[in-house]
Order: sequence, then C-alpha cells, then structure tokens
Amino acid sequence: MHRAFSPRRFAALTTNTLTELTRLKVFHVLLLFALVLIGSSMFLARLSFQQEFQVLKDIGLGAMSIFTALLAILATARLLPQDRDDRTVYSILARPVPRFEYIAGKLAGVLLLLGISILVMSALFLAVLFLREQSVAAVTARQMAGGSPEQLQTALAQLRAATFSAELFPAITVIYVKGCLLAALTLFISTFATSNIYTVVVSVFVYFIGHLQATAREFWLQEQGAGWLARTFLACVALLFPDLHLFDFSDQIIAGSAIPLPLFLQTIALGLFYVVIYLLLAIAVFNGKEL
Amino acid sequence: MAEAAVAVNAVTKRFPIPFHRRVVTAVRQLTLRVEAGQIYGLLGPNGSGKSTTLKIILGLVEPTSGEAKIFGRDAREVASREAVGFLPESPYFHKYLTGAETLRFFGKLSGLGGAKLRTKVDESLELVGLSDARDRRLSGYSKGMLQRIGLAQALIHDPQLVVLDEPTAGVDPAGSRDIHSILLDLKRRGITVLLSSHLLGPVQEICDRVGILAEGTLVREGMIEDLLVLEDRTEVVLRNATPELMQKIGALAETAGAEVLEEHKSRTTLERLFLDATKKR
Repeated sequence: MHRAFSPRRFAALTTNTLTELTRLKVFHVLLLFALVLIGSSMFLARLSFQQEFQVLKDIGLGAMSIFTALLAILATARLLPQDRDDRTVYSILARPVPRFEYIAGKLAGVLLLLGISILVMSALFLAVLFLREQSVAAVTARQMAGGSPEQLQTALAQLRAATFSAELFPAITVIYVKGCLLAALTLFISTFATSNIYTVVVSVFVYFIGHLQATAREFWLQEQGAGWLARTFLACVALLFPDLHLFDFSDQIIAGSAIPLPLFLQTIALGLFYVVIYLLLAIAVFNGKEL
Repeated sequence: MAEAAVAVNAVTKRFPIPFHRRVVTAVRQLTLRVEAGQIYGLLGPNGSGKSTTLKIILGLVEPTSGEAKIFGRDAREVASREAVGFLPESPYFHKYLTGAETLRFFGKLSGLGGAKLRTKVDESLELVGLSDARDRRLSGYSKGMLQRIGLAQALIHDPQLVVLDEPTAGVDPAGSRDIHSILLDLKRRGITVLLSSHLLGPVQEICDRVGILAEGTLVREGMIEDLLVLEDRTEVVLRNATPELMQKIGALAETAGAEVLEEHKSRTTLERLFLDATKKR
C-alpha cells in the first residue's frame, strides 16, 4: 500500500544528502572559520580586555554568519543539478517517491548539515572565548597580586561579563535560521536554474539585496517621500527578498544590550515563514518540471 | 484479456523550444502493449524517442496527449511505480557513496528496512558480481560496474516490472552476457522487462517482442520470430558437405521448382569468438 508520505523514505533522502555533502568535504569551511577566529584572537591581545572581547565576539558572530550563509548557498546549489547530471533523480523518482518528498528531503539534509556546522562553530567560538578569558584572568590575577581580594573578584566578574553573555545563544540561533532561509531560497532558485553558477550568482545577489534593502528603504522613503507607488514597490521588494538585516543581532550583542524575547521569537517565526514559502515554491516548480 | 504490464495508448509528446516558437515532436501517436512476463525491446537509433517513451511510462515526463498505464494504473500516479525498477542510461549515481550504501539508499526508498534490507543488499551485490567492491566508492567504479550497480538498485525491491534504458551501453561483451543472463532469469521468475537499445544482436537473443521507433513513430512491432522469419526461404546447415553433394542438392532443388540462393561456410559471430577467446580457463 503506497503512502503519500513515508518517514523512512524522507529519512533516507535526508541522510543521503547529508552523507554526500559531508563526503564532499564541505566541513573544510569550518577549518577556515577556526583559523579566522584563532588568528584574530591572537591579534586582538593588544587591546584592553573589554575591547578585545567585544571585537572578538563581533568577528566570531560575523564569521559564523558569513560561513553559514556560504555553506547554505554552495551546498544547496549543487544538489538538484548534480542529481540530474548523474541521473540519480530518475532512479529516485522512478520509485514511489513523491516529488515533494524528494525536495523536502534534500532541504532537510542541508538543514541538518547547517545545524552540525553551527554547533561545531559555536563550540569553537566558545572555546576560543573561554581560553582567552582564562589567559586574561591569569594576567589580571598576576597584575593585582598586591591588591585586595575584593578588587580582584570584581575585576574577574567584569571579565566574565565581558566574555560570556546569554545573548550569544539567541544570536547564534538566528544565524542558523538565516542559513536555513538561504538554503531554502537557493533550493527554490535551483529548481528553475540552468546551471550551478546561475543558482549561486542569483542566491548571492538576493543575499546582498536582502542585506541592503533596509538601508535602501530608509533612504528611499526619506528622499522620495512615502507615496503609494514607493510603498507598493518597497512592499514587493520586501516580499520577494527577505530583509536579512533583521537576522543580525550582533550589534546588540557587542553593545551588551539584551535581546527582547518577543523580538527573538518574531525573528525565528519570520525565518521559518520564509523557509516554508521557498520550500512550497520549490515544490510547485519541481512538480511541473519535466525531467 | 489479462492486465498488461505496460499499456501506452496514442501517446504524443511535444517539447517546445524556448525563444524559437517551435516544437519538437519526440513521440507521435505511440501505442504499444507489454504483456506481463515478457521481455520487450524498444529499438531505434539515437534520438528516435526511446528514452522519452520510457520516461512517460515512468511518470517522469507528462505526455502531450494520450495515456500510459502500468499494471492498469495511470503512470502519472506515484503509486503506479511501487513495483517498478528503473535503470537510466549511463547512470553515475552519487559517487561519494559505496556500492552497498547506494543499494541501502534505494532499498529504503522502496520501503525496505532492517534485516530484510541487509539481506537484499547482499543478494543484489552477489547477483551483479560486485560483492568484492561493495565498500568501494562509486567514484572508483568502471562504467560497466556502474551499469551493474544500476541494475542491482533497479532489482533490490523485487519489482514486477523492470525498465532498462540501454542496459548494456558501455559494458564489455562478457558483462553484457551476464546482464542478459540476469534478464532471462527475471523472465523465468515471471518479471516483465522493458528495455531500450540500439544494439540489435543482443536484443534479438533475449527479447520476446520488439517495437522499432524511428523519429518518434512506431514503424514495426511484433514477436521476434514473426518479424525475422522470411517465409519463402529455408536454411539447411550441413557438416562435411562435398562440392559434389552441393551440386546434387542444387539439381534436386531445381527439379522441385526451388532455387539455392546462397551457399557459404557457416560463421560464428564476433561476440561468440570474443567470448570464447576471453573465457577464463
């Protein structure tokens, strides 16, 4: 008896995608991330510890965001064209596998890959922060050896506050959600793209528009006023291109301000909304596609 | 009338060419029927519409008009492909997976799991002679090995219909012979095989029925023996025939109103010669 959706088939497609991407050595991107992080932490040692940790967190979150976005676009762009080129798609869809399951399984594989990457990057990031904190704490303790224990405790507490904050976790979660959004977008583009390069170029183009559109919107509204035409145009742009600036919490983290829970949840919901929309669009295009 | 394994009724497929206001007709008014348990060969030169026909049967391409059915179900329904195995032309599969992983993946897609899946993977690798290469990645497989792993994935879930697009393309004669043995074994087990090819010799050996496509049109169709027999000619093969005997046979034929049209030494085929010469001793 054929089932419209089979968890076993879906899991097979997901794990197969993850296995293939893993063996493509896409995780080498993580080595690059580690180099950036460790290199910058050594370079920043000359600053005061407050400045050092501020900049280190800025670099860490920024690098995590860029590497996740790169991974999402590059890993996803090759999935469908590759399956078409090596004819695997025929062998898969000549079985009782609905096309929506195939597309959703591919996306789930990439999201799993991004999840693993973000966990590894977070672990590296936290490890570098911890090691720097330990090193600075040792220097501080040496420098304040003659002072009172209370002064030393206060200095160490300040150091800990400058190093770690609970706000890092929502920021990292939002980076992951942005990566998921970009993967879903890239998958959608690849359903009608004619080549890998086309998919990557268009995705990167959308990435930049997504990051710049908030600034452009503000500028446009200031210069052109808020006429209905301008508003309609901006609404269309916002609908087509997600405002990726919304998925950047690093400024708040660096400034040490808290991220309100409603804002965090709203951002996650917005990201998931875009993922679902792009997934549905990808399925719609792929369903009508002749292979 | 028993349910046909494959029934294609008046199928036409046109592909529009973007920006050219033109359409290419890949298949024209094609009607064919593959009975259950048969080996059916779809023949034709490159570009004759064989692969498009197979894709329509498998629901990968939608016909412009007409319909295709698998065991009575519309080929566009996903469920119609439950008992189908497919080997595409020149497959490469995921080259980062090993042979065993590839079969596990396709087995799971067909609903297999647990101990049954493990057994089927082992059996399928054994069937196509790739047990020793089970843990090698497909990137290290030769073209013939890829073709064989492709056949194994098509058979892993014991399908009732196996569709093969150029199954012996790129395979050496010994490998082709092995694939033909597997196909004949499938037939013995009552499994229907529909294959496309432009290699006529091997098809003649194993197919019960063939259809010949040319420019998208079915120009000939029927049972092999009906299509190939020349009703007004008879062959007699003699061993150690002397010229005198041949003269007598000619004269005898003449008195009976017949005529000896050809007289030549019997020959083997190049394939037979190759197989005998390269046979492992």
